[in-house]
Amino acid sequence: MPTFVYMTSCDGCGHCVDICPSDIMHIDPVTRRAVNIEPNFCWECYSCVKACPQNAIDARGYADFAPMGHSVRVLREEDKGTISWRLKFRDGREKHFESPIRTTAWGSIKCASEYEIPSNEAINSQELAHEPDYLKTDQGLPSVTVDHFIKYELAPASAAKKKSKKVSAQAAE
Amino acid sequence: MAGKKTVFVDSDILVIGGGFGGCGAAYESRYWGRDKKVVVVEKANIERSGAVAQGLYAINCYMGMRWGENEPEDYVRYQRNDLMGLVREDLGYDIGRHVDSTVHKFEEWGLPIMTDPDTGRYQREGKWQIMIHGESYKPIVAEAARKAADAVYNRIMVTHLLMDKKQPNRVAGAVGFNVRSGDFYVFQSKAVIVAAGGASHIFKPHSAGEGMGRTWYAPWSSASAYALPIRVGAKMTQMENRIVLTRFKDGYGPVGAYFLHLKTYTQNGYGEPYEPTWRQSIEDMVGDYVNHEPVPTCLRNHAFLKEVEAGRGPIRMVTKEAFKDPHKEIVGWENFLGMTIGQAVVWAANNIDPKEVNPELVMSEPYVMGSHATCSGAWASGPEDYAPDEYQWGYNRMMTVDGLFGAGDTLGGTPHKFSSGSFTEGRLAGKAANKYVDDLGTNTPEISEEEYLELKEQIYQPLETYRVGRNEITAGTVSPTYLLPLSGLQRLEKIMDEYCGGVGQRYMVNEPLMTRGIELLKMLKEDLKNLGADGLHQLQRAWELHHRVLASECVTAHTMFREETRWPGYYYRGDHPKLDDKNWHCFTLSQYDERTGEFEMEKAPVYHLVDDVKQAAE
Amino acid sequence: MFDINPFAELSHSISPAIMQGFVIAMAVCVAGGTLYDVIHKGSAKYFFGLVKKGAAGKTREVPFGEKVSVVAKTTAHDVLASGEFCNVRRRLAHLLTMYGFLAYVIATATMVFAYPTASTPAPALLVNVWWIGLIMLAVGCYWFWFFIRVDVAAEGNSPFRMVRADLFVVALMVSASLGIIWGYLQVNGNFWSTFALGLYLISTTVLFGSVIWSKFSHMFFKPAAAYQKNMAKADGGRRNLPAPSDKPSIYGKVQRHSHHY
Ligand SMILES: Cc1cc2nc3c(=O)[nH]c(=O)nc-3n(C[C@H](O)[C@H](O)[C@H](O)COP(=O)(O)OP(=O)(O)OC[C@H]3O[C@@H](n4cnc5c(N)ncnc54)[C@H](O)[C@@H]3O)c2cc1C
Ligand code: SF4
Ligand code: SF4
Repeated sequence: MPTFVYMTSCDGCGHCVDICPSDIMHIDPVTRRAVNIEPNFCWECYSCVKACPQNAIDARGYADFAPMGHSVRVLREEDKGTISWRLKFRDGREKHFESPIRTTAWGSIKCASEYEIPSNEAINSQELAHEPDYLKTDQGLPSVTVDHFIKYELAPASAAKKKSKKVSAQAAE
Repeated sequence: MAGKKTVFVDSDILVIGGGFGGCGAAYESRYWGRDKKVVVVEKANIERSGAVAQGLYAINCYMGMRWGENEPEDYVRYQRNDLMGLVREDLGYDIGRHVDSTVHKFEEWGLPIMTDPDTGRYQREGKWQIMIHGESYKPIVAEAARKAADAVYNRIMVTHLLMDKKQPNRVAGAVGFNVRSGDFYVFQSKAVIVAAGGASHIFKPHSAGEGMGRTWYAPWSSASAYALPIRVGAKMTQMENRIVLTRFKDGYGPVGAYFLHLKTYTQNGYGEPYEPTWRQSIEDMVGDYVNHEPVPTCLRNHAFLKEVEAGRGPIRMVTKEAFKDPHKEIVGWENFLGMTIGQAVVWAANNIDPKEVNPELVMSEPYVMGSHATCSGAWASGPEDYAPDEYQWGYNRMMTVDGLFGAGDTLGGTPHKFSSGSFTEGRLAGKAANKYVDDLGTNTPEISEEEYLELKEQIYQPLETYRVGRNEITAGTVSPTYLLPLSGLQRLEKIMDEYCGGVGQRYMVNEPLMTRGIELLKMLKEDLKNLGADGLHQLQRAWELHHRVLASECVTAHTMFREETRWPGYYYRGDHPKLDDKNWHCFTLSQYDERTGEFEMEKAPVYHLVDDVKQAAE
Repeated sequence: MFDINPFAELSHSISPAIMQGFVIAMAVCVAGGTLYDVIHKGSAKYFFGLVKKGAAGKTREVPFGEKVSVVAKTTAHDVLASGEFCNVRRRLAHLLTMYGFLAYVIATATMVFAYPTASTPAPALLVNVWWIGLIMLAVGCYWFWFFIRVDVAAEGNSPFRMVRADLFVVALMVSASLGIIWGYLQVNGNFWSTFALGLYLISTTVLFGSVIWSKFSHMFFKPAAAYQKNMAKADGGRRNLPAPSDKPSIYGKVQRHSHHY
């Protein structure tokens, strides 16, 4: 369901242009309001819908397979850490859902460089940042040794001499 | 193009693509390399870019070692089983042993993970999946990456990698253009981590109108992760292993939570079970693999496909019983709203309430990616502490080009990584790249001015081609001298659909078909010189098409090389209809030569974890 | 100079009747253009349909008293304070332009009709209002045009690119600038004032004559749209949007700009 923009709601702030992963929300040269310039590259990801401060963006199911008259609208409230959905079926039935989206304050993540500088020993080990503590086991980081790996031998003919083959995709110059 | 500024950016570690792999790489690069300059370059906006733009409702890769739920070995067995025996078990084990720490970090950062009220553990959806309220999964992970990186350059489409002018086979950076300002960017870096996601729109999708946007994988997954390394000669593996997904019809809503958590099941159009009907036909093709538990994803597809071909469609998901439970109904809907909103729209539009109707399923067009139930991608070095010699050349997750690392969909041989595994692989690449840079010392790579100036010319050519060619015609989209990116894309999709086993051919392919397909791809590739773009957005589409075409050539070369049907339900070689362990229990590798345009193919061995080999022998 | 009425100065060379005729012609242009937009494009019809559709979705009857308060709030917040703009700079620029324009237009009409000649001197305050309005209008336009325009800020387009969406604001900007220049030259009795007057009249004619093609007439729908939006909140229809969550507001917000490149 590609997105579209309500003329009387959009104030031309540009947030949808900034967020769209498909780069298809743009500012129309006649109205200076947002418009989906390539509906056939719209994933209905709702990133723009959620980002619009005016709730000016809505979506209409893809013309190829969605009968008309439905509505799926959303309110993402960052400060409350919630996302609320309201679905309207073609026949008018409604469904409502609300879910949490985050359990910590926005911007609160501790930067990777705020942790203690890792030791040389850690740098040369197989451990990643915060390991082994963050595995939350008392086993340490699991490992195996190379002799745990056994090669699967193919039939002799092709195992003796590795089969090599060229597949030409050369541009005929 | 004249008039466009050239911007130079220097870094120690350059991360291409700010998705799950890229964010993990940025975080870990900073953690281990406090003095390093870490730069992320992203073609969209890191806040919502990549496959997780909508969010996710489950983390599909979590061991649960803290509760003794699974060990890395179990995970390796699961990967191997699902991919019909062929996975890089060294890489898989590595994901398995680290992924839990990633997930615990996500939780600390603020990702709401559901817990089981009885056990207090994470709520399991299935053996490997845990359930989350993941609408803001990407913004949360992006926050960590943004803080970690020295700079995140948004809206820059990376088009080519740059090679070192002093030492052969060593990467030195990348070039691209800013989709907003049009400026030309030259990134010089000691190490480069490619994390540019998988590939949609290689094969023709079911829907040809507006609906072509509703692919299963994101339309912005443009095969850059493959085209960038392929062009500079990095070896690729398992590119034939494309994936076909069984999903809810039209919206491609995911079925995982339905099968695993809601305990729904499938039926044919007459309300009968159909998987047992095809058990024998599967055994005839793949032998003993039919007995694997759980049944490999591709084999379940096979039964679906055969049942529909036998005229007993449509296949439906039986939801009416499960949805009587209000909790399950909420999970069923929120599952879509959290990761495939389009499916909720399709149901609302069609008055489909799964409480009253058993919704139809469909088998999708094929996709090329490396983190789901499939493992196409670059051939990478394994972990230092245990990887067999044939799998190791120095640094973990480094490709066969020095200094070039990968993560997520980019790397081959490791299926079932999903979001958490892709992020974990980014972390592994970040730590290894940091070590690589330290070991370089003063022997640092240098970019060649001649090379990037030549690339600049090529990059902006479509704008010039359009500007001049436009004078020839009155108006409209039909021109005898330039090709619009959309026309080129549709031509590619048609070729791949008809000659490389797309949905139009019911996933069937053979050597004569592919031989013709390669000829057609060759002509398409020649015509890409005539791409015309009316502005920067279309210039991005033009380069996405370049990347998709090169990846498609590679997919075709691999499919041609593997003379067996390894994954019935993903694709079929009509000329080699059976699985052949004797000759093909191995990886396929390709190496591209840009001068000749040819792919050199070879086999690489599969190593299995030993206790399983013993078990198999018993 | 800000207390000299330039129209009175002008009346030495051009008869007040002509000036009054020009002002009337401009008013007719605006009214005609807007009516054309409303009738020919069907915008009014669309709007009444929207109100009806909104009414069908309501979940409660809004009592008369509350309706009055919605109208009052809409007028205060959306109409008079341009509350719909989320960007503070944009809102300020819009308010400068809007109130500057109103002051300038009303002062012009009053001076031309009520105090047309030197023998009917205009009150100093009125003349001040004309000048201040014109300067506010120009500042608002310049600020918007050079620093805020979304196609430059979010899209990265060249600030020199001109498209049809710019017709109105550019005409306004040019007209206001020429008004200031002409007024200055006229009150100083400069030789070039006639030339400036010519340009001023041309740009003003373009401004009001292009209403059919520009975004001008859309302005009249904004208050109606704001009222409809706020009514939909009161009557529970909410334009099909979900109701806000009743969870506490504790997680803060992310500061976002509309350009990330
Ligand atoms: C519908 C759907 C459902 C899924 N469900 C689940 C699930 O339930 N659980 C789970 O764990 N996983 C799930 N996944 C899988 C998960 O999303 C992926 O495995 C993961 O995102 C892959 O990470 P990545 O970094 O390889 O790619 P991405 O996250 O896609 O990131 C790639 C990034 O590279 C950028 N990029 C691409 N090309 C260029 C270029 N040329 N220049 C610059 N930047 C570029 C893109 O914009 C993007 O930001 C799902 C995926 C989809 C699509
Ligand atoms: S985010 Fe909303 S208000 Fe802002 S330009 Fe886009 S549609 Fe208009
Ligand atoms: S729904 Fe997603 S893809 Fe479609 S326009 Fe909005 S942000 Fe872009």
